[in-house]
Amino acid sequence: MGIFDTVRKSMAVAGIAAIAASSVAGAALAQNTIYGERYIPTIWVDPDGCEHWVMDDGVEGFMTPHVTRDGIPVCRRGNTCGVVSSDQLFETDKAVISAAGVRRLTDFFRSTQATSFVIAGHTDSRASDEYNIALSQRRADAVARVARQAGVRIADVRAYGERLPVASNKTAAGQAKNRRVEIICLR
Amino acid sequence: MNLVKLCGLLAIAASVAACDEGLVGVKDDKTVDRGFDAKDLSQLKAGIWVDPNGCDHWIIDDGVEGYLSQRLDKYGKPVCSGVAPPNTAIGPFKAGSNFEDPI
Repeated sequence: MGIFDTVRKSMAVAGIAAIAASSVAGAALAQNTIYGERYIPTIWVDPDGCEHWVMDDGVEGFMTPHVTRDGIPVCRRGNTCGVVSSDQLFETDKAVISAAGVRRLTDFFRSTQATSFVIAGHTDSRASDEYNIALSQRRADAVARVARQAGVRIADVRAYGERLPVASNKTAAGQAKNRRVEIICLR
Repeated sequence: MNLVKLCGLLAIAASVAACDEGLVGVKDDKTVDRGFDAKDLSQLKAGIWVDPNGCDHWIIDDGVEGYLSQRLDKYGKPVCSGVAPPNTAIGPFKAGSNFEDPI
């Protein structure tokens, strides 16, 4: 890569300088000069609807997922294709699916075109975090068992317990919304 | 990276900035692909590459540029769909450019 090394060196000379100020709460402002090249990405949206940072630097191309600082992808739409209310499948604190529930789930999995599915169990915030993780695991496992019996592929089974609420746990309606099993369809 | 080398050699031989963008100087706008397969980067066509662990990555072969980026689910976890065996690539990932890629 001799030719490219030479080119790179001449490009580096054209690098731009920027002043960056970093502040730490309570501490004095520290200023230092950063020498770098300006790299402003654009956004590419993948077939799932999620964003990626992308840059074309001549002959090279660069890409990385656009995630929040918490590591959650930034998506314009999701591939959650089903959210089942736990109240319709399970009795309180139980993970046994009724016969009618099994029929409904089987119909859903047989009629949905996907390469595979991810099953994620969630609960409301009553009882302990540990208990809720275990309960959501047993419920997600139960749904995954029905899916496998219906002949579809399960990519993963997850238990998030009470940690990812979609509604307030301060109201009964909110709690009911949080008791759910999410199904992600991977196409 | 044989293609890249060839490309660089051609550009030097013709002493023009023929290889997609100028090899001399800095390309300021990183958000467009210039040259014979010019386009905005948002139009890239992706396939799926399955890594040795069985997890999916978006793969794009856009002529001289290649892109690879992780496929993540809404929780931020890797997507391992099982769409193909490990170490394989599927889909229209070479469809975005008419650049003749001998590889």
